[in-house]
Amino acid sequence: MPTSSSLVITSSSDATALAVAQRELKAAPGGDYWVGRFAAMASPCELLLEVSARNEAQRLLDIAADEAQRIEKKYSRYRKANLIHRINHAEGARVEVDEETTRLLDYADQLYRLSEGLFDITAGVLRRVWHFEAGAPFPEASEVVQCLQHIGWQKVRWKAPHITLPAGMELDLGGIGKEYAVDRTAALLAAETDSSFVINFGGDLFINKPRRDGNPWQVAVDDPDASGRHHVGAVGISSGALATSGDARRHLLHNGRRYGHILNPQTGWPVENAPRSITIHAGSCMEAGMLATIAMLQGAAAEEFLQAQGLPYWLID
Amino acid sequence: MQLKRHPQSIRAALAAATCTVLAQPLEATAQTASDEGTWDIQSGILFYDEGDRIQVIEPVVDASKTLEDGSLLTLRAVVDTVTGASPNGASASDTVQTFTSPSGNSTYTAAIGETPMRNVEDVRVAFSGEWEKELTRMVRNTLGGGISNETDFLSLSISDTIKLDVNNRQTTLAAGLGLTLDNVSPSGGTPVEMQLLSAPSSGVGGDETKNSVELMLGVTQILSPRTLTQLNYTMSHSSGYLTDPYKILSVVDGTSGSTLDYRYEKRPDSRTSNILNWRLNHQLNEDVIYLGYRYFTDDWGINAHTVDLKYRSELGNGLYLQPHLRLYQQSAADFYHHSLVAGTTVPENASADLRLAEMDSTTIGLKLGMPLAGGDFTVRIEHMTQEGESSPANAIGVQQNYDLYPTLDANIIQFGYHFEF
Repeated sequence: MPTSSSLVITSSSDATALAVAQRELKAAPGGDYWVGRFAAMASPCELLLEVSARNEAQRLLDIAADEAQRIEKKYSRYRKANLIHRINHAEGARVEVDEETTRLLDYADQLYRLSEGLFDITAGVLRRVWHFEAGAPFPEASEVVQCLQHIGWQKVRWKAPHITLPAGMELDLGGIGKEYAVDRTAALLAAETDSSFVINFGGDLFINKPRRDGNPWQVAVDDPDASGRHHVGAVGISSGALATSGDARRHLLHNGRRYGHILNPQTGWPVENAPRSITIHAGSCMEAGMLATIAMLQGAAAEEFLQAQGLPYWLID
Repeated sequence: MQLKRHPQSIRAALAAATCTVLAQPLEATAQTASDEGTWDIQSGILFYDEGDRIQVIEPVVDASKTLEDGSLLTLRAVVDTVTGASPNGASASDTVQTFTSPSGNSTYTAAIGETPMRNVEDVRVAFSGEWEKELTRMVRNTLGGGISNETDFLSLSISDTIKLDVNNRQTTLAAGLGLTLDNVSPSGGTPVEMQLLSAPSSGVGGDETKNSVELMLGVTQILSPRTLTQLNYTMSHSSGYLTDPYKILSVVDGTSGSTLDYRYEKRPDSRTSNILNWRLNHQLNEDVIYLGYRYFTDDWGINAHTVDLKYRSELGNGLYLQPHLRLYQQSAADFYHHSLVAGTTVPENASADLRLAEMDSTTIGLKLGMPLAGGDFTVRIEHMTQEGESSPANAIGVQQNYDLYPTLDANIIQFGYHFEF
């Protein structure tokens, strides 16, 4: 039966169009820099650009958003048919990974060692039992123990470029991905422009250099008691990265005790007596973010750990 | 008692590790949003069953890959195996009807009151490809080509579509042009159009050709982060041999309605169609609604409306259910006749092809999707009912006793698997 060809716009390009269209570019109030916004990695993302031409700002915004969305697409465990999905659903089979993933897994491996097992990219399984929304049930101890059987980076067989995950275990690069995206985007933008910029992916940020007039960018540090509404204070940052661990809105109260949302992969329980929020200033967003997370995992010893690192930090108890 | 250790600085080791992870060359990963070097495979098999009529088995493989220059290549292979019986255009009658192919090598019969059906058996093999490339940051070009072959039919097509993003990428404008060249070589030769089957064979013709040009203009608009709408206009012009060489019409007695003879059909040698296609995709919290409407009109007198509604309901863990409803309605072509009356002027064009008759069709279906072994598995079940004028007002004599538009019921089941490797 004859069938004639037919021209249609395919749905795959629609999906791209949707993602691309959610990019917004506006002049800052006062007009001395551009503010680009888009969503990626379940966070609002923002880009401040001290360039004059709108076209140039749009070009840089597209580079940043493309990179953030590329990393999200490749590493989000909520997406199907990506590498993480393949690894997590291999049911004990060996999966070959590309070079970028190799570097990230090597990095995760080092974090596991440096944190003495506290930073573990297999800990995401705990999210099945711990829910930090208001009114969420507190898990049974037996459920937590059940989960622990499927946690432990040491159980993963990782020899580049092959990874073998025992069935039931899952990788979650969510704890690294956003910071990685900030640093990668910073490198991409630095190769394209000499102007000053701020990359802010859901509160993890990077500043390449002081503003045109030599002043630092003013960054507000959030008050966890009134997140998004009240700032503890503003701090001037000329260059480098800021990353924060902790979120006052996500916690559980049980028998009068307050449990934060940072989970200890060795006990399966939230870290007790951890600060509510830690913000670190470091050379890269990955360093700042990983140190903030590892500090949180120290619980009551967080501040002592932070002092030993010798980096500027803001701790909110 | 546990010994309390003094916390150590891991800063230097972490800085070194971070340096390594970020040392990746920039271009290698920054260029494209899809995993380079992997093939995205959509495979599927469709079973289409009209009960006592046509059965089709159709395996399809689509493979797409992002090439090193960021362009996207998509290749597709389809094999259709068609078997069964298809109405030949003649009406049911009060005698046993026997038919012979134009060359006279095969005959088949239809019992009293039965709609005459011709046996169909064919395999169609088709390959096509598309290559989408970004010309500038806002302009993409898609070049396509295809070849399709079956025993009696060869089709070659080529197309090009340009898409332009404007309005801060909230709007995509598209324009496309397609050309199709077909060659028809009916089994048993090409019959002489409108000739009586009882007439002494004046020899059968050889191959015939048909050309089509298609022009498409489209606009896709993002209405909100969750809503997308698209309007496409397509104009298609075909010329050449548009007749179906296997279709005939009954020639009946003007009083009794009994079949006296048959004529081969003839369609105009050109056809111009105008098609408007509108769709709206809206995402609710998790679920998605797909709504579509299509209007078709051509210079053969066919006007058709299609409404298509799908609702994708996310059940969690990647599992979804998608009910589907499609309503279709068309008016008859000007030259459609369920049969011709003996002794009246022979029209210039005439066809009794049920697909050119006035008809309504309803499709209801359900699709289930789930993650499976690293990919996505889907199964779709649909039922289509197509109804026309079973007892038209102009039926003559015995024709009033018979069903002149037998209802068509078709079941479709399709399995799909999408994965990357």
